[in-house]
Amino acid sequence: MIGALTIARRETSALFNTPVGWIALTAFTFIGGFFFTAMLIGYYSAYSQSVLNPQQADQLSVNEWVVQPFFSNLGVIALFIIPAVTMRLIAEDRRQRSIEILLTSPVSSLEIALGKFLGGMGFALVMTASTLPFMWFLYALGDPDTGVVASNYLGFILMLGTLIAMGTFASALTENQIVAFMMAFAGGLFLWISNWVVQGMDDGPLKTSIDYLSMLKHADSMGKGLLHTQDIVYFLSFIGFFLFATSQRVEALRWR
Amino acid sequence: MIEVQGLTKSYGDTVALNDVSFTVAKGEVVGFLGQNGAGKSTTMRIIAGSLGASSGTAKVGGFDVAEQPRKVQAMLGYAPETPPLYTNMTVGDYVRFAATLKGVADVDAATKKALSRVGLDGVSHRIIDNLSKGYRQRVGLAQALVHDPAVLVLDEPTSGLDPAQRIEIKNLIQELSAGDDRTVMLSTHVLSEIEAICSRVIIIHKGKLVAQGDLATLGGGAERKVHLELARPDGAIEVLKRVPGVTGVEHDGLRLVVTGERDVREAVAAAAIPFGLLSMQGQKLEDTYIQLTTRGTA
Repeated sequence: MIGALTIARRETSALFNTPVGWIALTAFTFIGGFFFTAMLIGYYSAYSQSVLNPQQADQLSVNEWVVQPFFSNLGVIALFIIPAVTMRLIAEDRRQRSIEILLTSPVSSLEIALGKFLGGMGFALVMTASTLPFMWFLYALGDPDTGVVASNYLGFILMLGTLIAMGTFASALTENQIVAFMMAFAGGLFLWISNWVVQGMDDGPLKTSIDYLSMLKHADSMGKGLLHTQDIVYFLSFIGFFLFATSQRVEALRWR
Repeated sequence: MIEVQGLTKSYGDTVALNDVSFTVAKGEVVGFLGQNGAGKSTTMRIIAGSLGASSGTAKVGGFDVAEQPRKVQAMLGYAPETPPLYTNMTVGDYVRFAATLKGVADVDAATKKALSRVGLDGVSHRIIDNLSKGYRQRVGLAQALVHDPAVLVLDEPTSGLDPAQRIEIKNLIQELSAGDDRTVMLSTHVLSEIEAICSRVIIIHKGKLVAQGDLATLGGGAERKVHLELARPDGAIEVLKRVPGVTGVEHDGLRLVVTGERDVREAVAAAAIPFGLLSMQGQKLEDTYIQLTTRGTA
């Protein structure tokens, strides 16, 4: 476990020692802030229109109008940014041969996979923390439901975890970072939109299962402030699966 | 300390390593010789646990690398030919990272010691990317010995260095192997390094072990040749042929090669002096090496 944490700490700090981490973080907060402002304006104009109608004003919830769509949009930004962050995790080590120090140190393949994943998660947490000022702004000016905010944060972090686990695996498959990016992005996009594809389908086991695979569906449900076990299990099982796959892949690297 | 038994590694149809067996005793410094592609790095990577063998076993300190790799890796330091560096880290951070990864108890002390051993004290705050090749090679060595391993496996530690850096690294390895009872296995193309550092040599060629033994034995060579350079070679050939033990004399201008059935260096030298002996060399490791590794390649 110390091995995994050592690798994780090195990965996270490596991201911030190079422009990659800072550029990704800047892009994320800039675009996120842009969305946030747009939503606040939308909420404000809806609110001003409803001043004359008290009943309608009561139904205008900052949770529905700002918190939920904000996190949903952050998810889309993450879909693009996370693969760019994860693509180098293992691919770069292989290309620069620095993977050798990991493979010849007394750490297991699972620890290496876990370390790389946690290294990416370290960045994801910094990314998540960068949205806290937006929430502070909401609390200062309005009255958002803390349960909904917390549930959105949890859903967002779990989603980042899934994207990172998948990206780490993609990065272990190739020495080429661009290829790793494309694979991770395609995988994330598929999970994101898979329920759109089946919307027109007749109900049945196929539709249900593809629908279940959709990250958007599970993130949405958490965005509403609903904490269902099945949503959390969905994300955790993806993370677990890709961590296992990555560790198997790292183990295979020792045998070629 | 290192026991290799019937090690074979194939990549598809290509056999990189074919039934190689050898042992290295505790405290021994062994040179590993072979041409490029002979299987040196493959063997070393298998011993270090970063590559699996197709068949055969490698044991270090009694532990099978394939079965208990972590046990082996905890007592083994490995420096690959290309140092496994994270070039955007500082030297100190990198070695500290290596120390933590290898489970060293007192990371700061171990880092400091490793850095001073390889002569990097002054540059610990520098980014690895900005270092010269010689310094990077040292960082690679620092990484390998930060956990004070009982076994050091060094893959061409002097490759690509200029002569001055070569000598520094060579001296460093000599220091590392002196005392301490450390077992060292190193590969190189530079035979003079092996002659200076190693007590024993293992030669592999095209994936097969072709010779192993003490430097003295292999250096003496199987054919016992003496190379002479004479100022006046005329008449020397007849005289040298009469020296007891000499079986043949070849000449090429001022140079003569005397072949003997045993070590005839002294007798040949005495006989050659009247003809203006300019230089004389017994057969060196180089001759043995060339002999063994040019078979079938010409």
